[in-house]
Parts: sequence; C-alpha cells; structure tokens
Amino acid sequence: MAAYIFRRLLQSIPILIGIAIISFMIVHIAPGSPIDRFRSGRVSPETINNLIRLYGLDQPLLPIWVENGMSLLVSLFLMGLAGVLAWFALRGMRRGRTGLSVYATGLIALLLMGGSLYLIITGFREWQLLVTWPGQLINWMLAFLQVWRPDAWGYSFTDGQPVITKIAERVPYTLELMGTSLVLTVIIAIPVGILGAVRQYSLSDKIIMVLATIGYAMPTFWLGLVLKYIFAFQLDVFPLFGRHEFGDDSIVDLVWHMVLPVMTLTIVSVAGWSRYMRSSMLEVMRQDYVRTAKAKGLQTSRVLYKHALRNALIPIVTLLGLTIPSLLVGAAVTEAVFSWPGLGGLGVTSVIERDYPLVLAFVMVGGTMVILGNLLADVLYAFVDPRIKY
Amino acid sequence: MESTQLAPIPAAAGQTQSMVDEVDLTPVRTYWQLVRQRFMQHRLAVVGLILMTTLTTMAIVIPTVTGDAYQKTSLTLANHPASFINPFAPFGFDTIGQNIFIRLMKALQTSLFVAFSAVTIIVVIGVTVGAVAGYLGGRVDNALMRLVDIVLSLPSFFLIVMLVALWGSGNPAVVIFAIGLVGWTTAARLVRGEFLSLRETDYVQAARALGADDRRIVLRHMLPAAMAPVIVAATLGIADSVVVEATLSYLSFGISPPEASLGNMLTNALEFFFRSPALIFIPGITLILVVLAASFLGDGLRDALDPRQRVKG
Repeated sequence: MAAYIFRRLLQSIPILIGIAIISFMIVHIAPGSPIDRFRSGRVSPETINNLIRLYGLDQPLLPIWVENGMSLLVSLFLMGLAGVLAWFALRGMRRGRTGLSVYATGLIALLLMGGSLYLIITGFREWQLLVTWPGQLINWMLAFLQVWRPDAWGYSFTDGQPVITKIAERVPYTLELMGTSLVLTVIIAIPVGILGAVRQYSLSDKIIMVLATIGYAMPTFWLGLVLKYIFAFQLDVFPLFGRHEFGDDSIVDLVWHMVLPVMTLTIVSVAGWSRYMRSSMLEVMRQDYVRTAKAKGLQTSRVLYKHALRNALIPIVTLLGLTIPSLLVGAAVTEAVFSWPGLGGLGVTSVIERDYPLVLAFVMVGGTMVILGNLLADVLYAFVDPRIKY
Repeated sequence: MESTQLAPIPAAAGQTQSMVDEVDLTPVRTYWQLVRQRFMQHRLAVVGLILMTTLTTMAIVIPTVTGDAYQKTSLTLANHPASFINPFAPFGFDTIGQNIFIRLMKALQTSLFVAFSAVTIIVVIGVTVGAVAGYLGGRVDNALMRLVDIVLSLPSFFLIVMLVALWGSGNPAVVIFAIGLVGWTTAARLVRGEFLSLRETDYVQAARALGADDRRIVLRHMLPAAMAPVIVAATLGIADSVVVEATLSYLSFGISPPEASLGNMLTNALEFFFRSPALIFIPGITLILVVLAASFLGDGLRDALDPRQRVKG
C-alpha cells in the first residue's frame, strides 16, 4: 500500500508539470491581453508599457537558461540521484520487502528531490530571475511551488492582492456550501437507493427512478433558477441571493441564505448518487452469498443491512473520493446563480477579467485536487475492500 | 460432413423432411438485426429515439423555413401571449416581441449543432488516439496514456470556460472546439481498451497472417468491432455537450444574441425573470427533453450493441 501511494505520488509529478505547461500555454498564447481594456485614447502609451512590465507580460515565455547552467546541472544531478533511489525503493517495495532500509531509501529519495527543487528555486532567486509575477513558464512553475510565501502565486492583476490570499479567503464559503450538500446527499441518496433496490419495480421504485432521471437531466443552473422562482419569489420564504443580509451576521441568517443553493446542489447530486446506489445494491443482492444468507433463514433486515449493504457501499466510498475536487471548484454555476461569494464565482470572474495569475492558480489547484481525489478514491477502495490489492 | 453444411434452402427442405428436422431452423440473423431487435424491445430507448428524431427534425426544418424570423423584433407584439389568432406563435412573444417558438427552434438548432459537432470532434480525436495507442502499444501507448491522464486531471469545466473566454467568447466554433478538446479522453480510453483485446484475437491474427497491412487491419477489421462503446459514449456525450453549451451561454461566455441558443435564451429571460417566468421554463424544459432523449438513446444503444455491458436492474 505504501509503495502504491508512493508510486502514485511520483506519477502525479509529471502530470502536474503537464497541466502547468498546457494551462500556461492556453492562457499566454490566447489572442488579446489583460491590458486591452486599458487601451483607450485617455491612457498614455507610457502607462500601457508600465502595465505590461508590471504584469510581466513583456518577458519571453521560455527562459534563457544558459547563465545559470551550473546551478541547474547540480540540481538536475541531484534529481537524477533521487530518481534512481526512488526506483530502488519502489522495486524493493514491489518485491514485498517491508524492512527499514526500503522506506529509508524512499524517504531519502523524496528528501533529495525536495532539496534539488529547493536548490533550483533559490538558485534562480539569487540570480534575480524569480520575479513576483513570472511571465515565464519555468519561473512561474518554480515560484508556484513556494506555497509558504504569500506572493508565490503572484499578485492579482485586478486588485494587487496576493493570489494565495484571494483564494484562501474564499475556500470556507465554498466548503460550507459543498460540505453541507455532500453530507445531505449521502444521508438522502443512500436510503433512497436502498429503497429502490429492495422494492425493485414497485411503485416507489418507479417514482424514485423517474425523479432521479429527471433530476439528472436538469442543468444545475436551471434548477437553481426554478427554485429561486418558486421559493424566493412565489412563496417568498428564502432570500434571492447572497450569503448574509447586510449587517446581519447571525447563524440563522446564514442558514437561511444557504437553503436554496444547498437544495440545488443536493437535488442534482442525489439524483446521480441514488441511481448509483440502487444499481450497486441490486448487483450485490443478486450474489450467491446473499442468497445463502437468506437460505440460512436470517431475517431479511439482517441480510440486507448486515450482509448486502456493506458491499454495496464500496463503490459509493469511491464516489466520495472522486467528489473531493468538485468540493472546491465544482459549484461555480450554483454560486453564480445565487451570487455566493465562493471560489467558483472567483474563478469565473478571474477568467472574464483575464487575471492570469488567478486563472493559472485555479487550474493548478483544481488539477491537484483531481489528482488527490483520484488517489484518495483508490486508497479508500482498497481500504474498505480487502480483496483489492495494489 | 453433410449436416455441417447448413443454411437449408427452402426447396430442398421440403423434399427431405427427415434431414430438416435435425437442422436448426431459426433464421440466421446478422449482428445488426440482433441489435435492432434488442433496441426495439427497450421501451425507453424507442421513446428516446422518437424524441430525438422529432426534436432534430423540428430544429432543422422550422428555422430553415422561417429564415430570419427568429431575430425579428416588434414592439407592438412585445409580451403578447399565445393566441388563436396567430397559430405560428404557440408560446407567444417575448419582451422585445420576438416569436418565442421560432426563436426556441433556432436555439435548439444551434445547441444541437454545437453538441453534434463537439461530439464529432470527441469521437475523431478519441478514436484516433485510442486506436494508435491500443494498436501500437509499448512506448507510444505509454506516452499517449500519460497525455490522457493530464487532460483528465485538468478541471474540465473550468478549462472549457477558460478556453472559450480567452480564445473567443461568443463564437460557436470556439465553444465546439473547447468541448471537443477537453472531452475526448473517455472515448480514447474505451477504444484503446477494445484495441488491446482485439489485437490478440484470432481473426486479427488471421488477417495479419494473410498479409493484410496495418492500415487494413485497423480500419477494416478492428475499428468496426471497437465502435460499440464509442457510439454509446458519443450519444451520452451529446447530452453532456448540450448542458455544457447552455451553461457557458448562461455564464455569458457561449453564444451571444442576436444568435439564439438554449443557454442565452435563459440568460435573456433572467432580466424579466419574475414577470414572465415562461421564458425560463420553455427553454429549460426543451433542454431537459434533449438531455433525456440522448440519455435514453444512449442507454438503449448500450444494451442493444453490447449486451455484456448491460447495467443490470
């Protein structure tokens, strides 16, 4: 298991580099420029040039590496060494060795890798190449790793705030929305799915399936609009948008504002999850060991909840891991509909305003979340199902 | 020896009754006949097919016949409800006097066009990458699959928004390419999987032994056999693409007025949300119908084309 996680983490490094290159290129080769909106008769050419320099848009996309060849060579050598050690450690782990030496080698490999990365970074900083907003691909990637520095991800083009701060202050808002919705989804979807499976083809099952299919087919934003029309306008029980009434910071007010967005998110995901739960449960109930349990004369409830349910939940646990990335960036549309001050809205605005540092940070955070979510899903899968071995 | 020569000729069957008894008389059916039979037994699939055909036909015919009428505004007709006097406006007129029904059909046309084109791109890229990776194997396979991993790890919706917003907001072609370039990975994985197993089958080995070149083996022998999951994925992809396009237009990145799309009809309706909610419900329900039709069709095709894959229950 440790070998597996270690290997997956190693594999994710090239993937992250690939994501960085692709997103950087998409952003920087795109026609137009963030300063286009300043180009009017009233802004002087000097100001424009200053802005271009301030944003680092005048730098070549790929750096000139020649001057720092030495530092680079040393770092690359260390990287190579780390790679070889990592390979040894992995081979040892795959062959089933669990001794201290194998883990020590792996640990040293990781440390070396971190060290060489750090060398590259500091080397560049000493040569004054690491600018605050790096317009160069490699510089940007290196700066991006220094998460502990507030300016590592650059400063926002629109208000000059550090990108890390801008993202960090939105995270709780999105989490409160998505977290509530996820909990509700699990609480609702699992019993509903079980009900559908246990009473297959009954009236309640048919109703559940019809509702789930329609819920699945509805676009999220449209559902949000309809809920808004019904509950905020016609019935006038919940507020139209926002997170708080002005000047009212109470919990009650917050919950009141959360109802509609959470309802939107929950309906959409319950539709998907309950279908998933139902088919998973049906699959398990068809298996021999369940029939055996029934034949032994066990109570139906015991067969269902003690024997069948446990195995039926396995795919759901995996689904949980895959949902993690959408916890942070997935609610963009719902947040837009309800003007919720979360991450999704920030992402969309950053794209509209061509706030390059923010856009790139979003892609990188999103990509990291996807990778970690997938890893978590696989690990959880092995954790709940001892038959799975990596 | 005699009994293995099958396919009884009716005339001969009449003559030698005793021989015919030993022969299986159920008519030999081709794969596609079986597919059609299984598809027709799937009630929801037939509903999906009928719905999809109707919607597509309406989306092609009505805007072609009415031409520019979907852009025509008229202040005297603004907010005019549906009436018997004008049978050509079954949904009435919107806030700037545009015929809602005609506009809806044009929007449906645009949305379906975007979805079908995007899915075409998805299939072309996905099948090419998957076939090359699965057929060649080895290093090429490894490299291509790492590319697939990278694209899969990108936050897909945000990437589409980014592509569309930065490379040409409001341009249908950009929307199509954005959806296509982000979505091809599933198709690639499916085709690669099929190719990996098909490569080792006897009939492909036989074709190779007979001296068929790679191109012929791939195009004539392997690709048709690998298409079933791709067709299913493509049909379901239409549903996704329609929703993505509508969402993009709703966030005002997609297709912008005076062109019509289901998403931007919804955006326009927002301004008059509380006065005329029908403007929200009509395009929304159309959208749901398209998505339902495509997913019923996809489920039915999956059961019909590839019964092994059937989702039980």
